Amino acid sequence: MRSLFFVLATAAILLTATSGAKAQSVIEVGQPFPGLVLPALKDGSPASIAMYRGKKVVLHVFASW
Amino acid sequence: MPVWHEATKALQESGQIQVVGIIQEQHPDRCALFMQWKEMDWPIMVDSLDLLGVSAVPITVLIDEAGVVYKVRARTRDLEAFLSEPPVEFEEAAAPQAPNLEELRAHVSSEDSSDLRDPANLNALRYFIDSVFLWGGPQRLDEAILIYQSTLVMHDDATFAFHLGVALQSRYEKSHEPDDFARAIKAWSHALASDPNQYIWRRRIQQYGPRLDKPYSFYDWVSQARDEISARGETPLPLGTEPRGAELAYPARTFVVDETAKADPDPDARINLDQRGLIGIETIVVPTTEAGGSSSRVHVLLTPNESLNAHWNNESDETEVWLSPPPGWRVNALGRTAPNGPGAVSTEPRRVEFEILPPDDASPGIHVLSGYALYYVCEDADGQCLYLRRDIQIPITVR
Repeated sequence: MRSLFFVLATAAILLTATSGAKAQSVIEVGQPFPGLVLPALKDGSPASIAMYRGKKVVLHVFASW
Repeated sequence: MPVWHEATKALQESGQIQVVGIIQEQHPDRCALFMQWKEMDWPIMVDSLDLLGVSAVPITVLIDEAGVVYKVRARTRDLEAFLSEPPVEFEEAAAPQAPNLEELRAHVSSEDSSDLRDPANLNALRYFIDSVFLWGGPQRLDEAILIYQSTLVMHDDATFAFHLGVALQSRYEKSHEPDDFARAIKAWSHALASDPNQYIWRRRIQQYGPRLDKPYSFYDWVSQARDEISARGETPLPLGTEPRGAELAYPARTFVVDETAKADPDPDARINLDQRGLIGIETIVVPTTEAGGSSSRVHVLLTPNESLNAHWNNESDETEVWLSPPPGWRVNALGRTAPNGPGAVSTEPRRVEFEILPPDDASPGIHVLSGYALYYVCEDADGQCLYLRRDIQIPITVR
């Protein structure tokens, strides 16, 4: 943990207010679906859309509310 | 979603398609109950941090055999064309694996990665912290929160702020430390201020916010779901945190006041004060996310002091909280009660919620509303039980 905070402290000196890298995924027609690995609801195991290669996939991004 | 389910059920069973879900929800177990209720059994992935980066749901995406996006925001009428597409060639993908957290830590801790002006370094740090949250388990939640906070001090990033809020709320629901809830609301509000069109972020605040700001009741379906699941002879899946208060409240177009409230039970403050702090009280104000809106929802959290071995006395009246708003201020109810817990004594956190609307001419700044709580508390599980009062003050920010 200490070494990570050393790096973060160093980064504080180097950072400027304008640095703003975004890490958001992009879902675009014709592009591969983002290769996120997320916990499965059923058991928390690693899961990804790539698990379904070879099948046509209907993906619902949703919430129960 | 049920419309899609009906349209794709036979296709899924015949193997023509694979239906998959990704949920953008703080509480995955609630989605599990929803799936059980609707008898939908396709695989679901949990994206509480919204790493997918969508700004609203629901969205349906059609993806071909090679993992390439065919259609975004698809409708059921798009299925026929999708299914008629000839199969495309694909390469088998490796089985998904959780990242090695120690390798990630070593990478972001190296001096070569320390300049966060380099987007690659910033994204590596982002990936590391998010991975600690997602895969580190409850034992590393504190670590994830600490690094999110440290990074935010240096780098004001809306996504980091949203993720910090998710992590804080997760910890709050395990430890019931009120400060975590307050800080989660603050972090989400900070994130939303930088991107007001991010509705996933907005919903996290609205989930706990005032009725004037609600698009719908978030979890009013839960009791109906349980009833219908039970009627089928099944056992409803359990929830880690029961939805209540603001999470169940329905939206309102005007400020609604409960006129049936009884009279102030202790207007002259004659009940003995809880001098020792047997019950700890915290107030968290969830502001509206509505532009120009001024209503707030106040969560009053009452917790027996563990260090004093305090317990609720359940063989008596319920816990009460009363507010005394200044002239012109409106509250939806002057008094609210929290039900007693199970057994003769208990130590569960209790919560009551109020909605508050300042007068139109309230000056911008912080106003303090006063109130008090009355409760029956025991000094030990089998010790002396007392009826006590604790005064509270609630800071409300008028914008």
